[in-house]
Amino acid sequence: MTEPGHHPTHTHPERWGTRIGVILAVAGSAVGLGNFLRFPGQAAANGGGAFMIPYFCALLLVGIPIGWAEWTMARYGGRKGFHSAPAILGVIGRGSIARYLGVIGVLIPLAVSFYYTFIEAWCLGYFWHYATGGIGIDTAAPVSEQTAVASAFYNNFIGNDANGLLFGGSIQTFVFWILTFAVNIYFVYKGIAKGIESFTRWAMPLMALAALVVLIRVLTLGTPDPAVPEQNVINGLGYIWNPDFQALANPQTWLAAAGQIFFSISIGFGIIINYASYLRKNDDVVLSSLTSTATNEVFEVSFGGLITLTASFVFLGLTGTAAAVATGTFGLGFNTLPVVFAHMGPWGNLIGAIWFFMLFLAAITSSLSMYQPSLAFFRETLGVSRKTATTIMVSICMFGSFLTIWFSKDSVFWSTIDAWVGTFLIFVMAMIQLVCFSWIFGIDRGLKEAHRGAEMQIPRFYRPILKYVSPTYLILVFIAFCYSNLGSWLDAVKQQPAAQLAFGLILVVTIFLVICLRIGEKRWRAEGLDLDDRRPEE
Amino acid sequence: MTIGGWIFLTISIGFVWGLCLWCYSRVLRGSKIEPPPDSLGG
Repeated sequence: MTEPGHHPTHTHPERWGTRIGVILAVAGSAVGLGNFLRFPGQAAANGGGAFMIPYFCALLLVGIPIGWAEWTMARYGGRKGFHSAPAILGVIGRGSIARYLGVIGVLIPLAVSFYYTFIEAWCLGYFWHYATGGIGIDTAAPVSEQTAVASAFYNNFIGNDANGLLFGGSIQTFVFWILTFAVNIYFVYKGIAKGIESFTRWAMPLMALAALVVLIRVLTLGTPDPAVPEQNVINGLGYIWNPDFQALANPQTWLAAAGQIFFSISIGFGIIINYASYLRKNDDVVLSSLTSTATNEVFEVSFGGLITLTASFVFLGLTGTAAAVATGTFGLGFNTLPVVFAHMGPWGNLIGAIWFFMLFLAAITSSLSMYQPSLAFFRETLGVSRKTATTIMVSICMFGSFLTIWFSKDSVFWSTIDAWVGTFLIFVMAMIQLVCFSWIFGIDRGLKEAHRGAEMQIPRFYRPILKYVSPTYLILVFIAFCYSNLGSWLDAVKQQPAAQLAFGLILVVTIFLVICLRIGEKRWRAEGLDLDDRRPEE
Repeated sequence: MTIGGWIFLTISIGFVWGLCLWCYSRVLRGSKIEPPPDSLGG
């Protein structure tokens, strides 16, 4: 007999197999390239060790509490038979407004997957090149020439010079993308427990092992060039960890720290709200949420904070590392680190291969989580089988990804999706979730629901934090973020046709999702489902 | 590397590892307890 309110299409509802499986899946979703490449750059540029003060404040005031709220909402929505952000937010937010705003929670992972698997394919491609002999950097040449070689390889590999490059001439990037996409779809199609969970259960420990191998190699580099004794491991660590307390007086430091936490732990992404909806009624959410966040932090602070810039400093010195940080996440990862690996001598290619394999694992555990939310959405709105829903999702993803790969010039197309969907809308989605949880569902009811089956108590002082502090913190960061970026983003859309096309794609996908939701809403009402939470459980 | 750098490095890494190990020890300990009806095991 089905539980009252359960979705009739879910005769055999999907569930996680084990508790550790769901924790690792959520952690795998959070651990991505940003942990290893973005975090060290942000820390070094914003006060070094002192950056960790606003960083941990943001973790405690925004990251951890919103994580608890998201897990709790998801499990509650799952109990009503729903697994997609629109349906769950409709339940928590008690009505159509929250439900239609919840479409953002499907749009974000779907649209981000258009370019994320492309970036994932770079990691696989770089791994392949390092495993088969490197990318041809001559360490006898001046460092500027080595960097130019790495940069030329990168630009060629990602098709930065012209549109359509990746479909003509060398199609290796396209082949790596096909492989990456196929692996993703294979595991997503196999389902929550047999696909995503079984993959992340071995991928996460393997990623940790790979990171540990690279870390040990970096920390034992010593002083590789006796002619420049100041370029050693200890000074490399000092580059990122020496505190500059004056940076704390700069609001930009606090903004950067909150932004790093926010994007790192995948809150507001539409993923946790889907993943945690497959929990059972009495499964713990409080400790599980905290554990997955802590796992992400270990990868970010202890691996990301010790490997990347330390290795860069040892071989490229202060000037080279500062220049690398200025090039941003991808410049550091794909232009600078190849030069660093070349300087590691006979071990360089092996360490490079392990490093890019680790990045590939970090990327694939994240991308897997981006497909499941839209798959669940199509299943429950259109009432179709997993196979049909997968076909719809794959068709949309292939269309979006082909456009991303074709319009590769200067990375304008995917950068536009990243800015508007992968950054701007994540803030919006987090705000919507927080308002629904703390103000509509109700903070007391929300905390009571969170504690159902919980293996640890949420401290009482988190009640005002969730209701007042987290939303205020989020709004302030969002306003500052818009102030810093919105003008240039709008200018880019006005001036660049590829950016306009990307915007158009986002719009078309959004309209399609809204139509699906409209269909689903009618079906759910006809089937008597409690889609507005009019029959609250005790 | 200054003393301040060592302090921040040690506290930060100690904190994230401490939190992570504490969480996993509780998660794994929980798995040894008979799970309540309608919940996941470890």
